[in-house]
Amino acid sequence: MDTLGARAVRSAAGSARDEQRNRRRLLVWTLVLRVGLVGIIVVLLVFFSVAAPGFLSAQNLQNNLRQMAVVGILAIGETFVIITAGIDLSVGSMLGLGGILAALALSAGWSVALVIPIVLAAGVVVGWINGWLIKGGALPPFIVTLGMLGILRGLTQIVGNGQQVAFSAPSLVAFASDKFLGIPNLFWVLLIVGILAGTFLRFTRRGRYIYAVGSNMEGSRRAGINVGATIVTVYVLSGLLAALAGILITARQAQGDPNAGTGYELDAIAAAVLGGASLFGARGTILGTFLGVLLVQIMTNGLNLMNFDPQVARMLEGALLIAFVFADQQRKRLASST
Amino acid sequence: MNGKPATSPIPVLQTTAISKRYGSVVALDSVDFEVYPGEVLGLIGDNGAGKSTLTKILAGAVTADSGSIFYKGRPCSFVTPRDAMRAGIESVYQDLSLAPDLDVSANLFLGREPLRKGFWGMLDFYDPADMRARCAEHLGDFGLKLEKLDQPVDSLSGGQRQAIAVARAVLWGREVVIMDEPTAALGITQSALVLALMRRAAGSGTAVIFVSHNLPHIFEACDRIVVLRQSKRVGTLDPKRASMDETVSLMTGATPKLGGDQP
Repeated sequence: MDTLGARAVRSAAGSARDEQRNRRRLLVWTLVLRVGLVGIIVVLLVFFSVAAPGFLSAQNLQNNLRQMAVVGILAIGETFVIITAGIDLSVGSMLGLGGILAALALSAGWSVALVIPIVLAAGVVVGWINGWLIKGGALPPFIVTLGMLGILRGLTQIVGNGQQVAFSAPSLVAFASDKFLGIPNLFWVLLIVGILAGTFLRFTRRGRYIYAVGSNMEGSRRAGINVGATIVTVYVLSGLLAALAGILITARQAQGDPNAGTGYELDAIAAAVLGGASLFGARGTILGTFLGVLLVQIMTNGLNLMNFDPQVARMLEGALLIAFVFADQQRKRLASST
Repeated sequence: MNGKPATSPIPVLQTTAISKRYGSVVALDSVDFEVYPGEVLGLIGDNGAGKSTLTKILAGAVTADSGSIFYKGRPCSFVTPRDAMRAGIESVYQDLSLAPDLDVSANLFLGREPLRKGFWGMLDFYDPADMRARCAEHLGDFGLKLEKLDQPVDSLSGGQRQAIAVARAVLWGREVVIMDEPTAALGITQSALVLALMRRAAGSGTAVIFVSHNLPHIFEACDRIVVLRQSKRVGTLDPKRASMDETVSLMTGATPKLGGDQP
């Protein structure tokens, strides 16, 4: 009896100690994730200010903001989709199609005021098709949007005849290179899109349903939420924003490029995940995604200025992605064990 | 009294001769069923007796092959769970239908978030402060004390989660709350809490249908017990007079059928 009692006491003390250690670990991982992204950005900013020649020049900073805009807008659309535990692999191709459609229409002499809504509508239609196929539950988002990636890229090559499309639209091209209050217009577009998207996600009922669907789809359905409409909404938003990004990239390059946006879907997904979005759903914020895009942009630009091979930045981005998801897994595991 | 509340003679939900087949399997065979406002009705039977099918039909999740359903005395048909919810009928499912990543108040109001007043409300902005305040108030009414209402529900214990699911159903189920094994995964104190919640809901005039295998819980909470066996209703018991042995023999078929309380 005595030894049994003593053992019970010892093991109770042991499990209390374990629990304490788990709590401490959980705190550490939560801190790593919370502080991690902003912390790394700050460290990189300081480091490149010192080590990368010309990093702090107004010209370079503006270039960074301009370059962020396109992937940033894609990543915001991707964030909506990822929160529902979905994925949209078609955004890079949709960007390409939107860009080439805009260039073709402009070269045919259509006015900018007509071309922009038409291209955006094309994005909505593509997103709606994605969402409509996915909402039934029979087709996984990965497959539907992978298929759409191929369809849209092929379509882009065909309608653009596989070539660059020149056009004349001075107002649109000027808009893409101009600044307002010292900040490039493209970045203003990203900011406005980000604020609208963040407000929608954070403060509205329909925004909340996006998290609910990602957290428990069947439960959301039982609670009376229109799950199908929520799923269609996120893919429509993703398609719409990809089309917008396509218009912007065409305006910035002053020509339509049928290869524009190739591989961008992975950059958009990486940015969202670096920013805290979980592919398992119900996690992610627009601010986080913005910071994810910012981190990749700063890293790529700084290393470039330091004359590193551009591929080094890609490798680092990949390593960071894995490290962040690992940290998130640790946090999740510990959170469920305490 | 016979366990039947005298407050209202009209059942809030009633079925007559309701049947359901799945292929060659008869799940329900001409079952009459009724539940009155303000009572906790126990629905018991062995596995496969038809309890789940019956509750799913009442909740609009399954459509019957034949027979009629009456809601407050009038014929009705619930084609989807949403139809039933609109009529004030809520269900608590065995597998929790909470969203684990959302916080307590968000779950309590899931699908029914109050909108802000005025302009922002028209833009679909919801009112988290109002939600939290009403959430704290309702949970307080149910005797549920949670330290934080803004923590995701997957950080709570199983019992707390089940209590929230029950509280949600009781909050929105103005007329009928259907609970399928709500105490199955719970410890003693947590079960007592859920049983108390049921009594409280019945006290405010809601009809509670309590499906369980746990006879002590059934006897503790219910005003009336309906027994199903092999897809048929075989009797109605008054827990104040019936013994658990009688109940078990009725469930297993040792006693074939009770005529007494059948309508």
